[in-house]
Amino acid sequence: MSSDYARYAVRRVLQAAVVVLLAYVFTFVVISVLPGDPVSNTLRNPENGFTEDEITRIIAYYGLDQPVYVQLWESLTRFLSGDLGVSLRSNLPVSQMLGDVLPSTLRLAGTALVVAVVLAFALAFAVQYLPPRLGQVLRSFPSLFLSVPNFIVGLLLLQVFSFQLGLFRVIDSETPLATFVAAVALGIPVSAQIAEVLIANLDHESRQEYAAVARSRGLGRVRLFWKHLLKPSSLPVVTVIALTVGELLGGSLITEAIFGRAGVGSLVQRSVSTQDLPVLQAVVALAAVVFVVVNLLADLLYPLLDPRVRLDGGRRTGSTTPTTDPVRPQREVVAP
Amino acid sequence: MTTTPTTRRRTRRPSLLRRALGATAGVVATAMVVSGCAAGGASGSGSGTPQEGGDLTFVIDSLGDTWIPNNSAISSFQGHVWGHVTDKLVYVDEEGAVSPWVAQSWEQNETATEFTLHLRDDVTFSDGSPLDAEAVVANLDIWSAGDPERGINPIGLFPKTYTGAVAVDATTVSVSFDAPTLGFIPTLGYHGSILLSPATIAAPADEQADLANDIGSGPYVVESWKEGDNVVLKKRDDYDWAPEALDHSGPARIDTITYKVVAEPSVRTSAVQSNQADVAYNPSPQELPVFAEQGFTVAAPRYLGFVNGYALNTQVPPFDDVRVRQALQVGIDREEILSTVYTEDWLPAESFIQSNVPGATDHSDQLAYDEDAANALLDEAGWVRGADDLRTKGGETLSLTLHPNPYLATSSAVDELVAQQLRRLGVDVDIQAFDVVTYGERVAFGSPSVPAYEVTRSFVDAGTVGGVLTDADNGEDWFNLGQSDTRLVELATAVAGASSTEERDPLLDELQGYVLEQGYFVPLTQIVQRLYVQSPRVQGVSYNGLAYANFYTAWIEE
Amino acid sequence: MTVTAVTAVTRPTGPEREPTADAARPAARRRTTRVPVTVLASFGVVALVVAWSVAPGLFTTHDPAAGVPADLFQSPSAAHWFGTDHLGRDLFSRVVHGTASSVSSALVAVAIGVVVGGLIGLVGGFLGGLVDSVLARFVDVLLAIPSFLLAVVIVSALGFETINAAIATGVSAVAVFARVMRSEVLKTRSAVFVEASLLLGGSRWHVLLRHVLPNASRSVLQLAVLQFGLSILVIAGLAFLGYGDPPPASDWGLLVSVGKDYPLAPWLVWAPALVTIATVLSVNRISRWLRTTD
Repeated sequence: MSSDYARYAVRRVLQAAVVVLLAYVFTFVVISVLPGDPVSNTLRNPENGFTEDEITRIIAYYGLDQPVYVQLWESLTRFLSGDLGVSLRSNLPVSQMLGDVLPSTLRLAGTALVVAVVLAFALAFAVQYLPPRLGQVLRSFPSLFLSVPNFIVGLLLLQVFSFQLGLFRVIDSETPLATFVAAVALGIPVSAQIAEVLIANLDHESRQEYAAVARSRGLGRVRLFWKHLLKPSSLPVVTVIALTVGELLGGSLITEAIFGRAGVGSLVQRSVSTQDLPVLQAVVALAAVVFVVVNLLADLLYPLLDPRVRLDGGRRTGSTTPTTDPVRPQREVVAP
Repeated sequence: MTTTPTTRRRTRRPSLLRRALGATAGVVATAMVVSGCAAGGASGSGSGTPQEGGDLTFVIDSLGDTWIPNNSAISSFQGHVWGHVTDKLVYVDEEGAVSPWVAQSWEQNETATEFTLHLRDDVTFSDGSPLDAEAVVANLDIWSAGDPERGINPIGLFPKTYTGAVAVDATTVSVSFDAPTLGFIPTLGYHGSILLSPATIAAPADEQADLANDIGSGPYVVESWKEGDNVVLKKRDDYDWAPEALDHSGPARIDTITYKVVAEPSVRTSAVQSNQADVAYNPSPQELPVFAEQGFTVAAPRYLGFVNGYALNTQVPPFDDVRVRQALQVGIDREEILSTVYTEDWLPAESFIQSNVPGATDHSDQLAYDEDAANALLDEAGWVRGADDLRTKGGETLSLTLHPNPYLATSSAVDELVAQQLRRLGVDVDIQAFDVVTYGERVAFGSPSVPAYEVTRSFVDAGTVGGVLTDADNGEDWFNLGQSDTRLVELATAVAGASSTEERDPLLDELQGYVLEQGYFVPLTQIVQRLYVQSPRVQGVSYNGLAYANFYTAWIEE
Repeated sequence: MTVTAVTAVTRPTGPEREPTADAARPAARRRTTRVPVTVLASFGVVALVVAWSVAPGLFTTHDPAAGVPADLFQSPSAAHWFGTDHLGRDLFSRVVHGTASSVSSALVAVAIGVVVGGLIGLVGGFLGGLVDSVLARFVDVLLAIPSFLLAVVIVSALGFETINAAIATGVSAVAVFARVMRSEVLKTRSAVFVEASLLLGGSRWHVLLRHVLPNASRSVLQLAVLQFGLSILVIAGLAFLGYGDPPPASDWGLLVSVGKDYPLAPWLVWAPALVTIATVLSVNRISRWLRTTD
């Protein structure tokens, strides 16, 4: 297993690096397909009244008059040497801009993840141990959470907690309470996904023979939950959590706009409306790095945590195709 | 002077809108926190005694893009900050009157091609360096030409006739032009013309982009800032060169001003209503009456410039026919726009320039709504109503595409209403809105796909008008006429080249009448692009000719 | 609201491992042909939505585009079920008339996901080898970029219109469909009857069309239904950030996003939001039900 594991680990790390690089290039290609850039956009604001000649000269300063492949090459070599370039919009170094907003988003996303996990476990526990009628109602919660646009949740929470109850001020968006409320808005859809998997696994586990045996031996329901069902049911949740990290970043676009937070999401919004390519490339690469690293960790940890997982993709052993499964080994959500 | 005529509590004519909203006030009360102090007796006018100290929070949609002064000075967002950290050579009030500031006096030659500025001798930048003639020359040069090789843009509306400036002595600057440039002095009070230290001007773009490096001479200095989030200003204790036109001198009264970005309009106004912030920028106009009723101060200062309206493309159908243009001119019910989309703070258009611009004259009679006349004009032009009530000629439907101006928040609503009105005349109106980026690429004056370009533009001197109507002297040719209309070319050139206002005013009046009569420009309403909802504890705010809120004169009542 | 990539990807593909909520129910009940009430209600909602989009004129007599300016901001009443907006237009009528565009843009998004993602998964899974590896890397990249971020980046490149938001949403769902399709194809391919068919000299295309596609279609269909509800939300989210169609279009997301600027008229947000939620909830319920009737 250990040499298998090492080979597997090396392959996964290499794949991860390639994915990040490709994500960077992908963003460049997508944004460069159509004409338009923040510089000429500003210059063409009718308030300015610039002549074409002036516009041409300024565009040349930003190197935006060069052929696309030259721009791509320059941007790639810069990226590989660790330089994220300069924002076309604000004229500030991209690394500085990202550094300024990253802590805020990390706090928000981190809190949201905790909120999501706690909420999901509470929900799953309640579904199992509340009276069936109530449990049945609670079962529909994840689905409901996933059906409500999260800007509605955000606007509602803000209205109630800030403007009505006065618990925090929107202009101090970084206080712990403000962060917590924003994190609830962001974490709700994520918690639904975790809860769905968790509830399903708990259902499955509680139908297993060992659970029936434990019950027949008179083990209390709560003790059964904590001692026997929780661990096997929550291991697969690790994977789900890893996969939702990216979603927290995506969702922060809306949450940060509503709660007036200066984070990565609002930076993206500012950059998107002006097609600020260097910033967008950096953010996408960052998101890819986070996603890839978190999933890499989950994948590398998983076989260590749960020996039942087979590395080579359970159901496909014996298949005629080589198994090169994209992001992580194909593993069963429920142990066989 | 400190409070503008437009800054007032509304207690008079109950508008349609207010009645509509009043009916829903019960529902609303549960959704909104009505601030307790709002109903306090002192709100509105206050005690009238200025107080020292206090901190002010201003919630704003955005803080724009870059902070390179030349590239950001005219922004509706960064302009607020620049207005407090920098000074200008002259002050232009909201009636367009020019008065001394850093320049104490000035004179010009007969032909308005040579100007001499006499500066105050006590002005210093916040880094201690003097704001002298050399510094002014450096500023004039960078406004005029920018420095494209360093990524510094010129100031768009700075007169293109500028040939250079010389520092005669420490407080005297001589400026020359290669053609009469009557607009030069007012342009010095334009929001683009902010004075920065020569060291800042010489710095590379990435240094200028860091607001903390941009040194001005204004009543406030930058204490801290965070890109896209906030700017904190603190007052400068040794400031003592405010414009005489403001009835306050010496240092500012409010200690700090915080500009905080809150993107959602409803969140901004709620923040002021719940006393979390003092001023909210750009609320939705239709809600202003309710805020006013709740005791908040509503300010809708007008800038100097063109009114909001359509510049028609005379080369593409249907506006290649003067009768169709004239039908549009009288077929738009401007009163309905004002009463539906706006409030009584908006004024009807009297010409195609705002009525506060010196030289603007009242041509309301040419803009009166007359559905019958409009129908008659369209009939006469050969457009007959078909079965579906739309007009056709030779198999073609009379149709029109409008592109709402993304720089004006109410533009979509106005266009939707205009579309309804024109449908009554049998015109099929399609609305195609673009975001700022796409708009910049696809919508331009005279483009074949743009029959009507929606204008929003400020200027400080009516001479600007002469430069945009035709393509003479590299003009912008708003109506796609080239120089085919000789009468227009004559009038426009005469206005642009006039060397005194006495000479210019009659020409300008004639020009306004002619442009409206030909239906080249179809005004909608006078424009208010910058709107404010203020907590009643903020008093004494002043607004200049560009409608930025100036808190130098303001104080906070505790 | 962004993605359920997770639910889709991690969902095990064999019925014997299906850990769905309904699995908890007694097997006997699951096998019954009775359709649960909530599912019937969901079909009712979906039927209404379809009817609104096909024949909006049957449900409302108000003109969605032309309002009575004098009647602006009226709260919900018998005359105006959802109240009126800032130009005095009937909101119910705008919701009904906006249905077609909301539904069709979500359909476009799903179609792009199904067709492009399905094709990638099918080709990769069926051909294997180098093609599979290359396609898998591409899917990896799409998967590594948070899908809402991806949608925002794409829509900013294409221009801010609802159709572009739909395309962007579709592209961001490609990876999920590709993965599901690929694993289905692999599963079917290695099934005994398919291997036998290949051994017996059946053409690859025949096998693909006759065996692989039909077997894969069920999971893809169920994912597509789920994705449909999701797409409505994503497109609404894009509209909220200002990346959708401009007025006077009346997509649900756009209605909410315009309505939120008038906090004094809260029904402008709640009415279209509730319609959206009811629709998405119903679609999700149906998708879940499809999963359990395997």
